[in-house]
Amino acid sequence: MNVADLPVDLGRGLVLPNPVGLASGTAGYGFELRQLIDLDRLGALFTKGTTRLPRAGNAPPRVAETTGGMLNSIGLQNPGVDWVAEHYAPQFTAWRVPVIVNVAGEDADDYVQCVRRLENVAGIAGIELNISCPNIAHGLDFGRDPAAAARLVAAVRAVTQRSVMVKLSPNVTDLAAVARAVQDAGADSVSAVNTYVGLKVHRRTGRPVLPDGTGGLSGPAIQPLALAAVAQVRAAVDIPVVGVGGIVDAASALDFFTVGADAVQVGTATFVDPSTALRVLEGIAARPALRL
Amino acid sequence: MTADLSQARVERGEVVLVERVGDLIEITARLPHLAATSAPGQFAQLRTGEATVPLLRRPFSLAWSDGELCSFVFAVVGVGTRRLGALHPGDVLDALGPLGSGFSLVSSGPVLCVSGGVGCAPFPLLIKTLAAHGVDDITVLNGGATGARLYPADRFRRGNAAVRVIEATDDGSIGRRGYVTELVTASLSPAPAAVFACGPNIMLAALAPLLAPHEISESAVVEASLEAPMGCGFGTCLGCALPRRTADAEPAWALCCTDGPVMPMRDVDWRALQELPGADVA
Repeated sequence: MNVADLPVDLGRGLVLPNPVGLASGTAGYGFELRQLIDLDRLGALFTKGTTRLPRAGNAPPRVAETTGGMLNSIGLQNPGVDWVAEHYAPQFTAWRVPVIVNVAGEDADDYVQCVRRLENVAGIAGIELNISCPNIAHGLDFGRDPAAAARLVAAVRAVTQRSVMVKLSPNVTDLAAVARAVQDAGADSVSAVNTYVGLKVHRRTGRPVLPDGTGGLSGPAIQPLALAAVAQVRAAVDIPVVGVGGIVDAASALDFFTVGADAVQVGTATFVDPSTALRVLEGIAARPALRL
Repeated sequence: MTADLSQARVERGEVVLVERVGDLIEITARLPHLAATSAPGQFAQLRTGEATVPLLRRPFSLAWSDGELCSFVFAVVGVGTRRLGALHPGDVLDALGPLGSGFSLVSSGPVLCVSGGVGCAPFPLLIKTLAAHGVDDITVLNGGATGARLYPADRFRRGNAAVRVIEATDDGSIGRRGYVTELVTASLSPAPAAVFACGPNIMLAALAPLLAPHEISESAVVEASLEAPMGCGFGTCLGCALPRRTADAEPAWALCCTDGPVMPMRDVDWRALQELPGADVA
């Protein structure tokens, strides 16, 4: 059996048709990319981080390029969970690709209300809890502290029957401890990793390029860092691990399977070539030496 | 609202011409799909190959198309434009497009185009397309820091030899000494049916009050092509936010890539845009 054809069982009835998805924040809600690529061939679409209320996002500039990477400080611009449930989800029902809504918040109640709002909405395949957005106030607190992460996951677990994936932040002291804590609190899977906190200096002014100083670093520059994080998480938990960080082609994706990931998400590379995830899927299918 | 990307695709074409135009560079490549589907003011996201440095594509307005050929005009300001400027005939140019909104194609003149520096880029194709629609009463006000940064008048006239070009440079080396915006008021009579502008934010912000409703007919089309540091170019990364003018105090953002790059000037909060830190291109 080829890894590209393998369904990925993420628990509670969520089975991805194949192990290559689009990462949250790099695919919107699918409506743009659907016009550019055959989205339905992919294993999953992880939506833009979605919050209880609409968010306008941060003041620009919001993005800056670094060597082999991209810093962003979007600030979770999104239309809010009600809009997603009422206007987007009905369209998702016609799609073959499973849509997993990435949920973010500033406190536990935000997350719980968001997940509860989506609970019986058709068209939504699962939940990815974003406990690690570096660009909003308090966005990292849950991701840093194993006990806080566990409490949040338990609170969400109590209001949903859906498969819950927790997206881990790499900006922590003990990633394995956070991973174990969310597993023990009822997470069905984890994705690793979100962006790394980074800073770019404007060389003419000497000031940070992004208004808040730091942003989240993604792109091929972080792939070795993400691989190390996934290996660490794999060793810490028994639930499925989804690898994400710096994938640009099949080879850089296969590295994640090699260190124990069950699936991958393609992120920033989609900005450069919208068909990257499809090429990753085709590429891992075409390499017999790497069949499982 | 979701952007219409139905024509956008990745296309790789051979570079056929690389011209040094003073301090500017004009590059022409065989990109038949882009040439056939682009409207004036739309842009393409360009890169030179598979390298991950620079990682992201760079957005450029389509300056000209003729048959299967597309041209782009730019100045070298960072690593992306340096790579583009180093291309030679025979090399491959990789384009994703057409993207974004174009100019409103009015059906009658007079038309006033206000160009600053590399803001010249969208005008040759706009002028050619307007001529094809029977609109040929067109004046271009073209400004640049120096003569070497000034896009030559004859290149604006490629699609319509009758176009008037009035020039200004900061150093007075070509045309009037001063800013292009100083030429605007004298060009508002007879009243233009449309004003199209492209240039640095500071130029556009200075231009906006000169084109306020009491200065120009409310029915006139007044549009600017804007720029912002951009990630994807097709509306998913939300990186290229621009301040939108709203009635309340809450910030509201337009996306340069899908709400723009061409926007009605009355929809932009020019004060907020001017206060933003400069674009990072290094």
